[in-house]
This record gives sequence, C-alpha cells and structure tokens, in this order.
Amino acid sequence: MTLLETRNLTKRFGGLSAVNQVSIQVPKGSIYSIIGPNGAGKTTLFNCITGFYPPDEGDMLFKGQTLLGYAPDRVTRQGISRTYQNIRLFPAMTALENILVGAHPRLKTNWVDAILHTPRQRVEEKKAIQEAAELLNFVGLKGKGDLLARNLPYGEQRQLEMARALANSPDLILLDEPTAGMNPNESANMMRFIRDLRKDMGITILLIEHDMKVVMGISEYIYVLDFGELIAEGPPDEIQKDPLVIESYLGRSEK
Amino acid sequence: MDAVWKDSSREGLIFGVVIIFFILIGLTVTLSDIVGNTLDLNSDSMIGNTRGLMVTYSILGLWIGIRGANTAERTWSTSLLSSTAAGLTTAVLVGVSVFVVGILDAADVEMRNYLVQLSRPSVQLLIFTKDPVSGSFLTAGIFIISSALGGLLSMATESQRNSQQWQAVFLDRFSNLSLKRVKETFHSSPRLRWVGYGLFLAISLLIPQFLSKYWNYAMGTVGIYVLMGLGLNIVVGLAGLLGLGYVAFFAIGAYTVGLLTAPAPISLQIGFWPALIASVVLAALTGILLGLPVLRMRGDYLAIVTLGFGEIIRVLIRSDLMSPYLGGPQGIRDIAGPTIFGVSFSSEKAYLYLIVIGILLAIFFTNHLQNSRVGRAWMAIREDETVAQAMGINTLYYKLLAFATGAAFAGVGGALFAARNQYTGPADHTLMVSINVLCLLIVGGMGSIPGVIVGAFVLKGFPEILRELELYRLLTFGGLLVVMMVLRPEGLWPAPRRRLELSAEDSSTPVLEDEASG
Repeated sequence: MTLLETRNLTKRFGGLSAVNQVSIQVPKGSIYSIIGPNGAGKTTLFNCITGFYPPDEGDMLFKGQTLLGYAPDRVTRQGISRTYQNIRLFPAMTALENILVGAHPRLKTNWVDAILHTPRQRVEEKKAIQEAAELLNFVGLKGKGDLLARNLPYGEQRQLEMARALANSPDLILLDEPTAGMNPNESANMMRFIRDLRKDMGITILLIEHDMKVVMGISEYIYVLDFGELIAEGPPDEIQKDPLVIESYLGRSEK
Repeated sequence: MDAVWKDSSREGLIFGVVIIFFILIGLTVTLSDIVGNTLDLNSDSMIGNTRGLMVTYSILGLWIGIRGANTAERTWSTSLLSSTAAGLTTAVLVGVSVFVVGILDAADVEMRNYLVQLSRPSVQLLIFTKDPVSGSFLTAGIFIISSALGGLLSMATESQRNSQQWQAVFLDRFSNLSLKRVKETFHSSPRLRWVGYGLFLAISLLIPQFLSKYWNYAMGTVGIYVLMGLGLNIVVGLAGLLGLGYVAFFAIGAYTVGLLTAPAPISLQIGFWPALIASVVLAALTGILLGLPVLRMRGDYLAIVTLGFGEIIRVLIRSDLMSPYLGGPQGIRDIAGPTIFGVSFSSEKAYLYLIVIGILLAIFFTNHLQNSRVGRAWMAIREDETVAQAMGINTLYYKLLAFATGAAFAGVGGALFAARNQYTGPADHTLMVSINVLCLLIVGGMGSIPGVIVGAFVLKGFPEILRELELYRLLTFGGLLVVMMVLRPEGLWPAPRRRLELSAEDSSTPVLEDEASG
C-alpha cells in the first residue's frame, strides 16, 4: 500500500526548476532514500511535501488524500514529521519541552483548560510528560530532559530532533541528512536507530542522505535526483551500477 | 604601595563623581531631608537640612573609608592611610565643586537657568549657610575625617574577627542571604514559589492599611503597570511578538469604561462592573482584529505597525471627527467607580485592593498558561516560528491568542486607571505608556512574572520615591536601559529559563519549571 505519492511534482524558482516532474511512491513500512548531488532539489522536494513551498504543478498524496494547499501545521497533523539538514531545535527550551512541542498535535489542551487546570488537562499533561521522557530514553538522552537544547552536544541535538519528530506519533518521517557531520561510528549507530524506528514503531521512513554507505546499507529503494529531475530509481544494487547515476556523481568521462 | 594608593584614590574618585552628580540633580537636598527628618535634626537652611546633610556626608565618608581600606594591605597604618587617601580624593572633588558653586552663587549667577535643581536656597544648604570658603572646607573636612574613621573601623572589625579574609567571609555570608539565593530556592521549588506568592499577597493586602492616600495612589499606579506588564509579557516575553502599540489596548479599556459609565458624551451609565467586562472583551477583540492582518509580519515590521496602531488610536481620540463620541481633547469626566451591593468604594485604598486582585488573577492566568501546551506553543513560536508551524502548531491562532490575552490585561489596566481617576483623556494614552511597559519588562526580565513586578517598582515606583529625579526621568530611563544591557541583559529577576542559559557553564543540574507538578 502506498503511503506517500507525488505525481509529476514541479517547483520553480523564477526560471529554475528546482523540482521537475518528480513522481515517487513510498509504500507503508518501507525505508526509501533520495540521493543526488548538492542542489539536486532533494530538500526542495521535502519542503513541498511538508507544505513550506506550494508546488507549481503536480499532486502529492498522503494515505490517498491530496496534500495540495495544506499549510505546514496541517500537513504535520496528517501524520508526517520531519527533521532538518541543519538542526533546528528550539534552543532556549529544554530537551523535554522540545519533545512536548513535538507532541502538540496529539494533545487537546486548549487555553481554557490551561487556565482552569481542568482534570482533563492534568491527566493529559502528566501522560505527555511521561511519554516525552520515554522518547528521551529511546533516543539515548536519558536524564537530559532538563537541559536546554542549545547546551546539548551536536550528536545529541540530532537525537533530540529525532525524538521531537517522533513525539507526534507520525506514520511517515522525513529525515534530511540524519548522519551529516557524524563520524563512521555515530553513522552506524544512526543506521541501527533508523532500522529500529521501523521495526519497533512501524514508521515509514524517507530520507535524504549523502553518505553512500548509509544509503546503500539501509535503503530498500532509492530515487536519484539531478538538477531537479528524477534520473534513476531502483534498489541499491541497481543504482550502484546505473551509468547515469555514476555520471551525475563523478562526471562524464571525455572520450 | 603605589598600587594601593592608586586603588584607594580610584575608590574616592568614583564616590566623588557620584556625589557631585547627586549635588547637581538636587538629590542632596532630598537625602539631607530624609536623614534630618529621621534623626529629628534642626536645620539652618530654607530647604534641605544642613545637619542632615552633614550626617549624610559622614555616612558616605565612612563607606568611602571602608572601601578604601579594603583595597590596602592590612595593617593599622596602611588602612588609615589608604582610606584617608580615598576620602581625600572625594573631599577635594566635592569640596572644589561646592566652592565653585558657592562662588558663582555669591557672584549672583543664576545657575537655575542651567541646572534646575541648583536654586539659591539649595546652594545655601551645600555651603551650610556659611561663606563658600568655609562651606567647602567643612565639606572636605567631613569627608576626610569620616573616611579615616571608616578605615579604622574596618581595621577594628577585622582585628576583632582575627581574619585576613574578613571581606571574603562577609561577602560569603552576605551572599548566602542574598536575593540570588532566595530566587534560586524560589524557582527550584514550586511549593516554595506559592509560599512566595502567598507572602506577596499578604504584604500587598496589608500594606495599603499603613500607607497614606498619596502612597496608595502611587502604588496603585505601579500596580496598573504590573498588570499591563504581565499582559505584554505574554506577547513579547512568551510569544516573542514585539508590539509597540500596547497603549492602544489600554486606551480602549479606559475609554470603554469611560463611555459606558460617564454621563457625557454618551449617557449610558451602566455601572462599573458590566463596563469592566465590556472593556476586557472589547480590548481582546481589538487585539484579534488588529492581529489578523498584522501578525503575518515578523520582528521589526510588526513593531512598526503596532507602533502606528497605538498612535492611530490616540489621534482618533483627539480628532474633531470623533470628539462628539469620545469627548475629544478634553476627555471624559465623571467616570463611575465600582460599587459592591450598593456600597461605592472609591478611596485610593479600595482601588489598590482592586488592582491587587487584578494582578493576582493575571499572575494566576499567566502562570497556568505558560506551563501548558499553550505556553509551550508560544515559546516555540518565539524560538523558531517556521519550525513551530512544522510541529503542527497553528501559529496564527496562537499568536492571536497571545495578542488577545495581552490586550485583555491592558484593557483591565485601562479600565481601572480610568475609573480610579474618574477621568480619561488623550494625554493618558501616549506612546510613553507603551515604552514604559516595554522598559519594565526589559529591566525586570523578559518572560518572568516576578521580574515584571520588580521592573514596575523600579520604573514607576522609584520615580515616586525620588521625586527629585522626575525631571531626569527620561535620562534615567535611557541610562538605566544602557546599564541593564551591559551589566544584566537578562533583567533584574530573570525567568528561570534565562537562568538555565546562564548557569549552563557550571555542570550543576538545572531544574525544570514545574511542569510535572501540574
């Protein structure tokens, strides 16, 4: 069953087509990757799906329903979470609060509940904090809930961002270069973590990645973008042999 | 030894410059009066209190001596020498200034033209109603002798304690009792915080009983600013929306109560309480209506637009177009005060109680809101609006909510203000109100409820205590803000969050706000 689908998605900035007629299909419960050289339009594709950029042409479907015209908050409420290429936490909030913000769409407390401290609000708040603490443990940040996000080391900030994205109990998570800036050891941990996500939580994963070892190691299927266009798709071993992909990464050999 | 002299005279120099500043702005007159009245001293001068001034100088001299001595290597003779050196520096500076002022006065130069506070009687006070020469020598003498005494005093206490670390010990003890420690315990335990608020409540309920009518009025003004500060704190401190037109909501609150209860220009006279509710609702609604188009802007643009809105309201009130309905430049008179079961209570004291109740409600609201899903959404918007939206937060809704809540608080403030004065007019609703409220947030500490209270007292309370500074209000404001930005950018009583940021260097485990205690 297809969870996320784009149909001929196009996004232009002036004369430049950052994403051009891209169609992808991500089945439920899979780990798919998007690769491509810098400026290939990978992040733009993510930004279209999550509602930051309205696409100029084409359609996007999530669980069979269109996402066209949805603002980012509404897209998130459908069950799509994401992380960012350059970590974007709420720096002056604690780790726990960051996760609680992530859980925002799942919670029901409105301002009247908040002011009156209704029983409903207390129960929900208590449960939310407990779940946030569990998520902290899950990403390996046990006991660091009271630290400000900005004071965490780089690697832990990445993990916290992941926990925040998970707090929404999403069906699909979009990871933008989750291993950027990590050493091989940390990358390996991250790969294991991503696999666990699917196994333990049943979350579908679409990731952008530069590290070929990571991509080839965990992806079931890979889309290759270059200059906004989909130039190849297939399982990792096919992609590795594809002449177009090799060309776009290494350049054309002059005959 | 050279360094010791240098340190001591620098102490003296700082004191000297500050005292000269005090003289120029006429603070010496006030201080001498306060001291003189407290000690019940006779005075020779028309204004101020000559003997009170002498005592003031002596106390300052002792202080200079103690400060001066502490920079020295500690023996009786060096103590004495260095504190005298400090005193001498101050004495020369102040003595010469007094001499110059005295001579100019004797030469019939009207200094008031340049420095408002230097009237002839106040100069007479400065030279102790003597001639300039003996006056200035007397001044210098007091400083030298008292600072020498201060030096001996500090040495004596030290020998008694038999400790080289006298100052360190003292400072250590002192800091144990200091506000900082109180604040830390206060923030770390939610229960203690409620005790703190309870104490504040008890004090605020008791104090009006002992205050004069004037002070009850002055404290009421401070209270109204606390109320508005709490409102703007939600908008600026929590949601991070820099609004400069806050006075608009204050004006709407004041005018709603005015129009609904006063006999003119529209004779509705529906009574204070329904009018109060109407003013809150109307202010909140205006907040939403203004917010809808404006909140799409961010940062500086938002500040400019709201600034404009504040001015529009004021200009509208003044305009000929609206004057048949709003009373024009004359404003609205005979605004009704609150009555409970037919008993009208309109004394300054009663209003102060009313304002305190308003503040307590506002604190209750703010406290519950900021430690909830709503408060977290606001903070997320302040931190990174784009990501906040990507987290599923309907940013426009929450920004409007912040705007409306802030506006409602200001509406209450305006309503109470107008009813208490039984009058409101365009002069009450100038840009200065917005700036004052923003300043008290900055001085007190953004996002901090106790900070708002402290800030309001510093900005609206101090000028009442030191009325002499009234003329230098704006100068003091500017100076205060600059000093705050340099020395304590987080404010006098910062939110625990800011404290977390600052104390993050040492690895002590910081404590989270009491979300868990819900």
